[in-house]
Amino acid sequence: MIGIRGRQIHSFHHGNRQAFWLITSLLGLLLTMPPLARADVPEKLAFRVGKVVTMDDEDRVLNNAIVLVCGGKIEKIGTIKDLPIPDGYTLIDRPDHWLVPGLVEAHDHAVGSSSDLHDYVYLTNPGLRTTSALVPESENLKRARAGGVTTALMLPGSGNNLSGFGTLTKLAGDTVDKMLIRAPGCVKIAQAGNPERYWYGVSRCFMYYNLRQTLQKALAYHQKWERYEAGETAEKPEFDLFWDDFRAVFRRDIIALVHTQWYQVVMSSVDMLAKKLHMRIVLGHATFEAYKTAPLVIEQQDIYTCNGPRQIHFDQHQRKIMGNAARWWQGGVRKLGINTDAPVVPQEELPFQAAMACHYGWHPYPALRGITRIAAETLMLEDRVGSIVVGRDADLGLWTGDPIDPRSACELTVINGQIVYDAAKKREF
Amino acid sequence: MILRCTLWIVVLFTTLAVDSHAAPPSKLALQGGRIIPVCGPEIPKGTVLIEDGTITAIGETVKIPYDATVIDVSEKVLFPGMISPHASQGLDRPNENLPVTPYLDVYDAIDPSSLFFEDALRDGVLAVHVIQGNNCVLGGLSRLVRPIGRTPDEMTIRPSLALKLSASPKSGSDRMQQMAAFRETFLELAFYLENLAEKRYEEELAKEKKEIDVGPEEARKRGAPLIRKEDLDDRHRNLVQLTEGQLDAWIYCDAATDVGPAINLAKEHGFLDRSIFVLGTEAYRAVQELKKADRPVVLPPDLVHRERDPITGELSETFIPEVIHEAGLLFALQPNPDSSLAERYLNYQAARCVRHGIPRQKALESITLNPARMLGMEDRLGSLEVGKAGYVVVLSGDPLDFNTWVEKAYVDGILAYDRTKDVRLKELLDLEEKSAEKEKQKEQENVESATQEEKQKESPAETKTDEKTGKEGEQDSEEGQKNEEEERDDK
Repeated sequence: MIGIRGRQIHSFHHGNRQAFWLITSLLGLLLTMPPLARADVPEKLAFRVGKVVTMDDEDRVLNNAIVLVCGGKIEKIGTIKDLPIPDGYTLIDRPDHWLVPGLVEAHDHAVGSSSDLHDYVYLTNPGLRTTSALVPESENLKRARAGGVTTALMLPGSGNNLSGFGTLTKLAGDTVDKMLIRAPGCVKIAQAGNPERYWYGVSRCFMYYNLRQTLQKALAYHQKWERYEAGETAEKPEFDLFWDDFRAVFRRDIIALVHTQWYQVVMSSVDMLAKKLHMRIVLGHATFEAYKTAPLVIEQQDIYTCNGPRQIHFDQHQRKIMGNAARWWQGGVRKLGINTDAPVVPQEELPFQAAMACHYGWHPYPALRGITRIAAETLMLEDRVGSIVVGRDADLGLWTGDPIDPRSACELTVINGQIVYDAAKKREF
Repeated sequence: MILRCTLWIVVLFTTLAVDSHAAPPSKLALQGGRIIPVCGPEIPKGTVLIEDGTITAIGETVKIPYDATVIDVSEKVLFPGMISPHASQGLDRPNENLPVTPYLDVYDAIDPSSLFFEDALRDGVLAVHVIQGNNCVLGGLSRLVRPIGRTPDEMTIRPSLALKLSASPKSGSDRMQQMAAFRETFLELAFYLENLAEKRYEEELAKEKKEIDVGPEEARKRGAPLIRKEDLDDRHRNLVQLTEGQLDAWIYCDAATDVGPAINLAKEHGFLDRSIFVLGTEAYRAVQELKKADRPVVLPPDLVHRERDPITGELSETFIPEVIHEAGLLFALQPNPDSSLAERYLNYQAARCVRHGIPRQKALESITLNPARMLGMEDRLGSLEVGKAGYVVVLSGDPLDFNTWVEKAYVDGILAYDRTKDVRLKELLDLEEKSAEKEKQKEQENVESATQEEKQKESPAETKTDEKTGKEGEQDSEEGQKNEEEERDDK
C-alpha cells in the first residue's frame, strides 16, 4: 500500500548508516556481556486473570485462570483451582482482565524512516533487505507495543513489483539482533496499484511479464544449486547475492507477501505465484472486489489472506457496501487475517482494524484469531507466537476486555517474558 | 447480483466440467426453433443437438437421445455465437505505452471480472479476440477467449493467436519513425539469429571437442538449423514464430497511406499470407492495394466515412463495407462496446450492411463465419453445423431485427446467459411486463366498457341519470374552483 516517492536514485551505502551499524553492533556486544546483561534475564511472571483466550488448536478459552511465564516462554496454564502459583513469581492479579496472545502484524512498513523503504528505483529490486533499515526502539515500535502488538513483518515499500526482502521481528530489543526472528522473513511483491505509476505509467501486461521474468531467473538459479546439491552435477554454480535470497522462497521456507487488490490482480497472484511458481503466498490488502477470487484462493489450500487496511468496498455495479473480511469469510476463506499497513494505519490500531472488519459483518472471535494465531500462521511463526501454549514464546497482552471491543485498553504487554509496556507506569493513549 | 451468481455458478460448473466428473448436462437438445446456420439454408423449424460441447446433429428431424436435456425453443431463432474479431477491451488496460513489445501477452491483462465480458454474453458475442497495441509498433500476443471463466486460462479458446503490428504512427511519433522502428526490430532479429547460429555451431563442435573450423559466414549457415526453440529469448521467440509461420500478423492501418507500407512489411518478412488488416475509417481508400494483396480485413466500428470537399464544402459519405464488399474482400465487422449507440451491437452493424445493399448472407457471415476464418477457427466456430463447438445464441427474433433480444447463450454447450435471470436488464424487462400488463388491463377495461355499453343500450333510462349526475358533479367542482380563485385575488 505504502508508496512514498522518495529519492529517485538511491545509493545503497550511506556513511551515516555504516556508523549506525558500527554503533549498534558495538552496543550489541556490550549488552551481551555478562555484567550488563541483567536486563535480559527473563522475569518469572504469574498472571491471575478472568479470561485466557489461548488461540490454541482446540480454541480453548479458560475462565479464572493462571498463566505462568518463565525463561521467556509460557511455562504452565491452568485454572485458579488447579494451578498453584509457586514462589518466586511476580503475581499480576487482574481478576476482571483478559489475557490474549501478543498481536501479530503481517504487514508493517514502519520499519525505520519512510525514505528507507526504497521505492521507485527499478520495477524489480531483489537484493534489498529491510533488515538494513530497521531502527530498534523507535517511536513506532513503542506505540505498537502499547496496542498489544508484539510481532511484525517489516516490509519494504510497494512502489515497485518486487521491492526486496522483509524482516520478521519482535517489537522489543535494543538491537536489531535481539529483535530478529527471521531475516529475510519474506519476499515482497506488489502486483498492481502503486507500481503502475512507474515511468509514465506501465500496464499490468508489462509488469506481470517483468515480474515473471525476474522470478523465473531466480528459480533457474535455485534449480541450478539444487541440482548441484543433489549431486546431479559436479559443476558448482557461481554464488550470486542478487538471487540467493530467493532460494528460501522456492524452498517455501519463507513467504511471498504480495500487495494485491482487485479481482484481476489477486487472480494473477494466485495463478502466477502460487499455482505456477509454487510460492507460499500471502495476499496482502486483498481489498476492493478481490473477495470474488475466494474459490481460486481456496483451491490452492495454503494461501493466507491478510485483509486491510481498507475494510469496506463500495461495489459500483451492484450499488452495495461490502465488508471485505466478511465477504472473504462468506466465500469460505478461513486463513483470514487483518493488517494495518502501518504507518498507513498506526500499528497500535491493529485490533481496531479487526473491530472495523466486524462492524462490516465479520465475527469477533475469528477476527481476534485473525490478528493472533492466523497472523502467526501467515508468517510461518505459529510454533512460536500467536497463541498461549506451553513452551511457546511468552508474548502476551493483558486487556481490560475483548481486544476487538474498541472500549478495551491494553494494560500490559509482554514480549519474550518481559514486560515491555505497562499502562500503570505510563499510559500511551 | 443474481446474474453474477449464476455466471459464477455457470463458470464454476465449467471448470468442474474440465477437471472432474461433475459434468454439466452433456447432451443438450434445442428443439423446435428456426435455425439460421449461416453456413447453409435456414431450417424453419428444427433441432440442434449438442453433445459434450460439440454439435452432433442439426436438422428438421433429429433423433434426440433419451438422456438429453431438451429445451423448447419454438418461436425462437437459433444463431451461431457472434465473434468480436478485434477487441482491446476486457483488459485492465491495454498496453499502448511501450512501443516494441513482441514479448507481451494479453494473458497478463485479461480481467475475467470485467463487465465487458458480461455485456458480450448479453449481446450474443460468444468469442472475443482480445488484442492490444493499435498505438504501438509491435503490440504483443493476442488471445481468443470465451466470455466465461474465472481466469484467462479457463476463458481461453486459443492462446497466442497473433502478433499485433501497427503501421500507423504511435501518438507522438510519425510515419518515418514508425517504419524505422520496424526496420530496427527486424534487423536486430536477423543480427541476433546470426550470432545465435554461430554460437550454436560452436557449441555443437565443442561437444565433439573440436575448434571452430570455418569462417563466420559458413558457421552461421551451418548453425542456423541447429537453433532450438529454447535457445530463443522471449523478445525474439515470437518474432521468429511470426516470420516462420506459427503466428499470424494483425496489422493496424489507420489511414489509407499506411496500407502500402503494411503490405510491403508483411511481404518483406514473409507473413503476408498470414496477415489480417485492421482498418481505420479512412483506410478503405486503399481498396485497390488491399484487393491486390487479397487478404481479409477487419472494418472499423464506425462504418461511415465522412469528408468535406475542401473547395465546395460539400459533405460526402461513404459506407465502407459497400466498397470492401464490391472489391470482393473477406471482411469482418467490429462492434464498438464503448459506445452507447447501436454500434455496440454486432447484429446492428450487420443490419446496416443490409440496408446498404449487401446481401443478407454476406452480412451474417461478417459477424460469424468470416471472423472465425480470420482467426483460424472455422472448424470450430462461426456457424451451426455438425462438428463445430456448441456456441449458440437463442434469439427472440431475426438477428437483424432491432427488436430482437438474446434470450439464452450457450458456450461450449454450457448455458452461460439467460435473459430471465439478467438483473441488469430487470428494470427494462419489468417495464416490458408492466406495459404488457397495462395493455391487458386496457383491453379488459375496453371489453368491460363495451359490455357495459351493451348493457346500457339495454336499459337507456339508467344511463341518462348517470350522465346527468356526472355532469352536474363536474359543473359543481368547476364553479367551486372559480370561487376559490376569486377569493385569492381579493386577498
